[in-house]
Amino acid sequence: MSDNQSLNIAVIGGGPGGYAAAFLAADLGMSVTLIDPELNPGGVCLYRGCIPSKALLHVAKLLEESHQAKDWGIEFAAPKIDLARLRSWKENVVKKLTGGLGVLSKQRKVKYVQGRAAFENSTTLRVTKTDGSEESLAFDRIVIATGSRPAVVPALKLDTPRMMDSSGGLNLEDIPGTLLVVGGGYIGLELGSVYAALGTRVTVVEMLPGLLPGADRDLVLPLHKRLEKMFDSILLNTTVASVKDEGNGIRGKLKAQDGSEQEKVFDRVLVSVGRKPNAEIPGLEKTGVKAGERGFIQVNKQLQTDDPSIYAIGDVVGEPMLAHKASHEGRVAVEAIAGHKVAFEPNAIPAVVFTDPEVAWCGLTETQAQRENREIKVAKFPWAASGRAITLDRPEGMTKLILDPQTERVLGVGIVGAGAGEMIAEGVLAIEMAALASDVSLTIHPHPTLSETVMEAAEVFFGTSTHIYRPKRG
Amino acid sequence: MIEFKLPELGENIEQGDLVRLMVAPGATVNTGQSVMELETDKAVVEVPSSVSGTVQEIRVKEGDKIKVGQVIFTVDGAEAKAPAATAAAAAPAPAATPSEQKSVPTPARKETASEQKAQPTAPSEPATSGGGEFKLPELGENISQGDLVRLMVSAGTKVSEGQPVMELETDKAVVEVPSSVTGMVKDVKVKEGEKIKVGQVIFTLEGAAAAVAPARPRNAPVEHVSGQHGARLAFQAAIRAEGKTEEQALPPDQPQQVPAQFSMPAQLGKVAGTEHRQAIPAAPHVRRLARELGVDIYEVKGSGPGGRISEENVKAYAKSLLSAATSAAATPRAGHFAQPQLPDFGKWGDIERVSMRGVRRKTAEHLAEAWNTIPHVTQHDRADITELEQLRARFAPKAEEAGGKMTVTAIALKVCAAALKVFPQFNASIDIEKEEIVYKQYISIGVAADTDRGLLVPVIRDVDKKNIVELAVELSQLSKKAREKKLASGDMEGGTFTITNLGGIGGVGFTPIVNYPEVAILGLSRSRIEPEWINGKFEPRLILPLSLSYDHRLIDGADAARFLRWIAEAFEQPFLLSVQG
Ligand SMILES: Cc1cc2nc3c(=O)[nH]c(=O)nc-3n(C[C@H](O)[C@H](O)[C@H](O)COP(=O)(O)OP(=O)(O)OC[C@H]3O[C@@H](n4cnc5c(N)ncnc54)[C@H](O)[C@@H]3O)c2cc1C
Repeated sequence: MSDNQSLNIAVIGGGPGGYAAAFLAADLGMSVTLIDPELNPGGVCLYRGCIPSKALLHVAKLLEESHQAKDWGIEFAAPKIDLARLRSWKENVVKKLTGGLGVLSKQRKVKYVQGRAAFENSTTLRVTKTDGSEESLAFDRIVIATGSRPAVVPALKLDTPRMMDSSGGLNLEDIPGTLLVVGGGYIGLELGSVYAALGTRVTVVEMLPGLLPGADRDLVLPLHKRLEKMFDSILLNTTVASVKDEGNGIRGKLKAQDGSEQEKVFDRVLVSVGRKPNAEIPGLEKTGVKAGERGFIQVNKQLQTDDPSIYAIGDVVGEPMLAHKASHEGRVAVEAIAGHKVAFEPNAIPAVVFTDPEVAWCGLTETQAQRENREIKVAKFPWAASGRAITLDRPEGMTKLILDPQTERVLGVGIVGAGAGEMIAEGVLAIEMAALASDVSLTIHPHPTLSETVMEAAEVFFGTSTHIYRPKRG
Repeated sequence: MIEFKLPELGENIEQGDLVRLMVAPGATVNTGQSVMELETDKAVVEVPSSVSGTVQEIRVKEGDKIKVGQVIFTVDGAEAKAPAATAAAAAPAPAATPSEQKSVPTPARKETASEQKAQPTAPSEPATSGGGEFKLPELGENISQGDLVRLMVSAGTKVSEGQPVMELETDKAVVEVPSSVTGMVKDVKVKEGEKIKVGQVIFTLEGAAAAVAPARPRNAPVEHVSGQHGARLAFQAAIRAEGKTEEQALPPDQPQQVPAQFSMPAQLGKVAGTEHRQAIPAAPHVRRLARELGVDIYEVKGSGPGGRISEENVKAYAKSLLSAATSAAATPRAGHFAQPQLPDFGKWGDIERVSMRGVRRKTAEHLAEAWNTIPHVTQHDRADITELEQLRARFAPKAEEAGGKMTVTAIALKVCAAALKVFPQFNASIDIEKEEIVYKQYISIGVAADTDRGLLVPVIRDVDKKNIVELAVELSQLSKKAREKKLASGDMEGGTFTITNLGGIGGVGFTPIVNYPEVAILGLSRSRIEPEWINGKFEPRLILPLSLSYDHRLIDGADAARFLRWIAEAFEQPFLLSVQG
């Protein structure tokens, strides 16, 4: 639309949602102000989320493989860990990427304001800049992309650096001898893996009966088995009843569902029990924006809030709290502002847990199908039958397709195994394109790669997988 | 022994017909397993069991009408209530949390053998209600709390499983929460007006041994959806008025509120306000195209494999919508009297084609419109006008003097005006778009006139303010104007009710079509002498047949009957009218 030229929009928050929105708005010719307290755009994802954690997980994987190499006839001496160097490498990764975003926003002539925004009304923001100055700015449209923060459990609040949330964990101040990870979700398992690889003895406590709540159990199982070897212990159905600072450590009282209790002292505790939306922006009550379930800002399919001039995207509007969902929403919101008839209506959003093995899934899960009483067919290909997996010595993986029994359409894909996160994209594309099992099985996949397991899972559905013998059904 | 009772099925559904029973004595049932099909007046629903065990006795049969709460069958108890019963014996379980329950494997769920090996101690279902107490069960996805609107039990109340014990307002709806336990209430732990969290103890039971039924299966319908969103918003507004954010008004983070981590599939349907629709087999760019063309992709039939929708499918559908719209616009009568292709009448003999322009076409359009819009009902009645005839004779010279003719129609005008004052809904119109009823504060009545140009309906204004003689005179003038084609269109506008008198021609009754946008029309047929049973003998009386057609959207049958009776009685008591002049 040509009159975008005259549109003046503000984006509050420079995370993957916010900067994607700001950049697209600039590309569409709007005049854009992006407000965030950090020096450059990036948000949680780049500064203290996806990126630093993945950098560290890369190192963790290398360490693990160096141990495993013994089985292959290569033995390394015990690694010497230069923590300061590791930290600065990680920080350089973050700097490189956030600096790059800074350049991109300059090139696009996005006005980047380092500071915090508060609402004066539906179209006016009061920005308190990092240098202390304040400014009121008026806009035609405002996009809220303030993200989320770690949830805090009052019972687990101690004023000591030994008590960490995910940001503290990523700071990597030392390699503690023992670490208690509270919460067996993806953040806890990812960071727990990093510390375990660096030599920390890790205990994970999860109050539910399984790790990674929400994921299909058969995908979690291989990970669980491997983590059992890596970690000191994984305590399910267990909560941390209390913590006490004992100076040289934190005493945690762990309470199992059967009532049994144990106490243990840990050098550090990582609390990763979920995230809360940053919906409490000062002055928001002066607008028509409304919060709904669990404090998420309420939006429609165009990401428009109850206040017509205000949009909201990313973690602050709801699950799944993932960077790629935030960016996609950011783009949809801006296109909606530009007057396009768009909607946030994906058929699949991938989720990846970057542990080793990785767990990834998209679209319909078996768990969800069961809950909805939906009839499905599941075709699984175990990686033990994959040449590539054997060459990598990682046969524990599994690829499965969730299919519609009538149309044979791919409704969901789940993968566990090394590199699952890279592979899941094919599943997302298959679902978005409404591919049938035969489309997948008839697409030539390169050999020898793990991606063949997707094709062969589709062949399993027809009972004709090359590398699996199945006696005839019926 | 445990009884399985018909659970709540939804708002306003109290019963249903048992279409199919899927269990028999001796059968093993599991929680969540469908045990019967019930036909309610809304739909046929499959009802899942909330108990597990071996079916002992079946208390219903197919074809029965079954009420909510009625016992369907019993299962042999002792070993049936596995997980909850064990929990009941244990010390108070750690507070059940919403996320805990959310991700709880549903009982129906298959677990792989290896998985069970990995977690040998994990019970398949944690106690949602343990230790002889009733905790707020999970209410639905993402609902972690609600305001207690009404408590239906107090200490000493006997409760049984499935019995509603409280009403909770969540931000989605007001929900009636059924008990999952049976026994005598000992201690109620909550108060009305309180905010209650999933897993919070609502009441305890007398005696620890109280039978604890298995937790309700997730899919047992309990929600009474009744758009309480407004109340919710009011709540938020109230918090704001106090200068707090909702965050501040609600208790701070607690372990109970910890959201399930990464439980994406559960959330996917609710992402960013998307209500849950199943993924449509269309590529993203095809879905985008549909949105741009204003097409609901869910309406498009895909021609590709597995029903995949192509760009062409969307375009073709959009085109069909468009051409339907334009053809409707080009021929405004489409849908009214657009008709299937006519046969070639000439085949069977000579024909003549005459233009239908003018009054005929207007009438056709107008009546088709009325007929298409208004659900018509016609009410018939008879009025004894023997006495009225005398009155008419008395007024006739007066009317003649004034230049009019005292007809039954003139009197009917007077009668109807009086009736419309008593029954204002007959003097109204419906504004569907605004969802409003328009009550007119004036009474102007149209009188159908049969002219050689066709049917015309001149309107007499403010009928209620004119006496019979004046009405007779005006009516005569308008009729004359109509016949002389001198009626202006203004003379035929603004009516609030219509009278049509076919009595001059004959007939015993007919069903007039309401003169849209009016809502009622009175038809008069030929009056004739009929024997009436009066005081033990037949008497010859002059009877006028009345036919009232009305718009059933606005007017109920009983009201129409009353209205017409009122008119009939007014005709029968002419003195009343004569007093009014
Ligand atoms: C340890 C960890 C690992 C993760 N790993 C992954 C992963 O592998 N993959 C993945 O997809 N996701 C991952 N996530 C989640 C991901 O980081 C988030 O989903 C994503 O960052 C959300 O983006 P966003 O744009 O909504 O907001 P955020 O990235 O949270 O950014 C919001 C920004 O807004 C700023 N802000 C808040 N209030 C104001 C205000 N009033 N004025 C101005 N600025 C304000 C904040 O300071 C922040 O910079 C991870 C998260 C964590 C913590």
